[in-house]
Amino acid sequence: MKAIITLIPLLPLFGFVVTLIFGKRLFGKRADVLAVAVVTVAWVLSMYVFYHVFTHREDALQVQLFGWIGSGSLHVTWGYYVDTLTAVMLLVVGTIGMLVHYYSIGYMRGDEGYYRFFAYLNLFMFAMFTLILANNYLLMFLGWEGVGLCSYLLIAFWFRKKSASQAGKKAFLVNRIGDFGFTLAMFLLILSVNTLQFTGVFAQVGSIGNTTLLAICLLLFMGAIGKSAQFPLHVWLPDAMEGPTPVSALIHAATMVNAGVYMVARSYPLFIHSHAAMLVVMSIGAFTAIYAALIALTQNDIKRVIAYSTVSSLGFMFMALGAGAWAAGIFYLLAHGFFKGLLFLASGSVIHAMSGEQDMRLMGGLRKKLPLTFWTMLTGAVAMAGIFPLSGFWAKDEIIGGAFRAGYYWVWVVGIVTAFVTAIYMGRLIFLTFWGENRAAAEVQHHIHESPKVMTVPLVLLAIPAAVLGMIVGLPPDGGWIHRFLEPVFFRVESEPFSWIGSGGLLMLVSLAVVLLGVYAAYVMYIRSRELPAELSKSFPWAYRASFNKFYMDEFYEVSVIRPVIDGANWLWTFFDVKAIDGSVNGLAWLWDRFARLIRPLQTGRVQNYAFAIFSGMFVLVIVLRWIWGS
Amino acid sequence: MSAIDWYLVLATLLFCIGAFGVLARRNLILIVMSLELMLNAVNIALVAFSNFVPGVAGKGPIFALFVITIAAAEVTIGLAIVIANYRNRRSLQADSFDELKG
Amino acid sequence: MPGGDFHPIAFSIIAAWILVCGIGVVTFKNIVHSAVSMVFCFLGVAAIYLLLNASLVAIIQLLVYVGAISVVILFAIMLTEAQEGEYRLFFNRQSIFAFPLTVAVAVVVTAILVSSRYPQPISLKSLTPNLKGLATLLFNVYVFPFELVSLVLLAAMIGAIVLARREDELQ
Repeated sequence: MKAIITLIPLLPLFGFVVTLIFGKRLFGKRADVLAVAVVTVAWVLSMYVFYHVFTHREDALQVQLFGWIGSGSLHVTWGYYVDTLTAVMLLVVGTIGMLVHYYSIGYMRGDEGYYRFFAYLNLFMFAMFTLILANNYLLMFLGWEGVGLCSYLLIAFWFRKKSASQAGKKAFLVNRIGDFGFTLAMFLLILSVNTLQFTGVFAQVGSIGNTTLLAICLLLFMGAIGKSAQFPLHVWLPDAMEGPTPVSALIHAATMVNAGVYMVARSYPLFIHSHAAMLVVMSIGAFTAIYAALIALTQNDIKRVIAYSTVSSLGFMFMALGAGAWAAGIFYLLAHGFFKGLLFLASGSVIHAMSGEQDMRLMGGLRKKLPLTFWTMLTGAVAMAGIFPLSGFWAKDEIIGGAFRAGYYWVWVVGIVTAFVTAIYMGRLIFLTFWGENRAAAEVQHHIHESPKVMTVPLVLLAIPAAVLGMIVGLPPDGGWIHRFLEPVFFRVESEPFSWIGSGGLLMLVSLAVVLLGVYAAYVMYIRSRELPAELSKSFPWAYRASFNKFYMDEFYEVSVIRPVIDGANWLWTFFDVKAIDGSVNGLAWLWDRFARLIRPLQTGRVQNYAFAIFSGMFVLVIVLRWIWGS
Repeated sequence: MSAIDWYLVLATLLFCIGAFGVLARRNLILIVMSLELMLNAVNIALVAFSNFVPGVAGKGPIFALFVITIAAAEVTIGLAIVIANYRNRRSLQADSFDELKG
Repeated sequence: MPGGDFHPIAFSIIAAWILVCGIGVVTFKNIVHSAVSMVFCFLGVAAIYLLLNASLVAIIQLLVYVGAISVVILFAIMLTEAQEGEYRLFFNRQSIFAFPLTVAVAVVVTAILVSSRYPQPISLKSLTPNLKGLATLLFNVYVFPFELVSLVLLAAMIGAIVLARREDELQ
């Protein structure tokens, strides 16, 4: 078992090194061979580990590989820790990672950086596996930074495009802010319990002071905010759509952005001891959920809509964790990984068919031409919107219901409104893309075709869990298999049995009704009377503009952070560097120049003058030695 | 005053005469000649010391021999440089060579 | 006047001779006169060596200085065809400082010599060993510097040839 767990992250690392260095020479145009092979094997191994945990859910697997850092009494090891939470993550990361690899074979074909792309994907898989398998915070942080690096490399994959390289930098820099919090949290942990091992930290959680614990939790959550694109650090994720679509599906929907959720869930024993921290997590999550959903309403870029829906979904997950519905949050993570990965891959298929066009206003009527893409994307959208009986319905409903039962009624309201808005924009996405008549240029229309098998098969494979997963693991609600499976991790769960007839069923009906209402509204606006959206935006211009411009968050950062930093740097350059530093250096040089000019006449170039100086010196020396120093 | 003092005073005077020549004359060849006077003065001092101070007997003459040898080498090189300079500049004036001034 | 191996009359004559010739070297207008004066000065120094019982050094002085170096200097004078000129051109501008300086040095050093007492007794007898003793010293204790100095001479010779050759002779 130890060898298998060790191999899971090691295989993609091997694939990365070989593909990056020898990929082009060894495999030529088939640079994907090794990368895809190692990820497939890693998937098989992950499934084996998952099965093992499935059958022995009570005892977590622990692997100690070697001591990594030793400093005084602090010892950090390189080791892995596999419990049921890790197993769920292995399932999501392994499966979606593998499918995205296969999908990329078709999507990236003919790109000049083909081998580079697969090398980066492999590196990402290594970092992500390290992140979820780690048995201590520092190793987790290594994976955390690794996925951040891969995110940067892959967003800026088409680095010749200025907007892509800008987006890569933005993602990297914004993530740094969160990482800073994560680092501080680790320092605080070292200070208070002198260990970073999960088991060690959680065993000593009682000995940490209340204020310190709150600080640790909030700083950890700050890391999660950056990585999982929560308000106010969400700005990087929509821009990250500059990267190739498989990357958006893998990193920015299904795996990496979930790392923040996973980290908070992993720190469960810390968070349940700090009610204030939980409240912050929930509030930020709830706010982000509705905020991002409102933005998604008016975006025209198909990938951006899905990106904002991802931000919104991640907000849902944090809302769940904060409200104490931990298992529901992970349930949603699992379901979301599948249906959001599916949505992105399907949108990639659409973009592929539209010769790279991403603007939904120029699409339409693709239902007939891309049947497979249509049906799979519809599945994803319905799951995302949360319509019975697809996976998103069960997961979302557990979260909203959980908030209600926990007494956070305002969170329940936010959840319901978000669900309504989500239904509208997912409906808008589907209706604009697949219904009506095609609005693209004739040239583009001519080229529309269904994607190759290597792309559509992963779509189908993802559509199946997106559709039925909820019924398999989530029934009955609040007590389904996933809850029992995660019990060893979230050990304090006290759930009362779900009542179909009663508050549980009623809440479910309400949310379903609201969602259906949203879909109907979208149907009215985008199919029956198409002039309605324009009229609406005219009647409420301020609301439309605010949503369309993402509530001016980027502008706010521009004014509050970026401008001052640039101005400050400019000031440092023009005043401090040029005047003070250069000035002092040049001033010193000027001083020496003056001094040298002063004494330069001494060097006459005539040897006899020098000899005269020597002889005078000798004379002085004789006098000094005889009458001043001598006896 | 013992015997050695007379020789040392002679050496001092000869040395100063040579030094004046080095410092004051313009002609490069004459400067070389004055240098030889100074070396001779030193040799006289060396031989005189070893002749009258117990314990160093014989070392003075040996040193003087070495000085004479080195002086011969020095004169050869010095005059060769003077001649090379003279070819290039048609001048033997020591103070006309001041290209290396600051 | 000290006794022992000191010959006051001979020393006085030779010393006066050396100093007069030395002054002649640095003051003669004609450089050829200076050179001749220098040869006589060297002869006087050789005589002083004899007075000091160092006959070997005296003979080497005759051979090297009077014989070789003087001739080299005369050759150099001939090769450079020194031009005649006004007397004041023979001294440079710093000579008005150089003269008092050298006089001061002479006076001060002489004063020191006259006023000093030696830390150990000074012999009145001549202590310089005979030729055999010098030879033993030169070829035993100082044989390595002796060989080394021959190398220096060789290097000087080659250097002088390289320096003094005409440029056009190099082709």
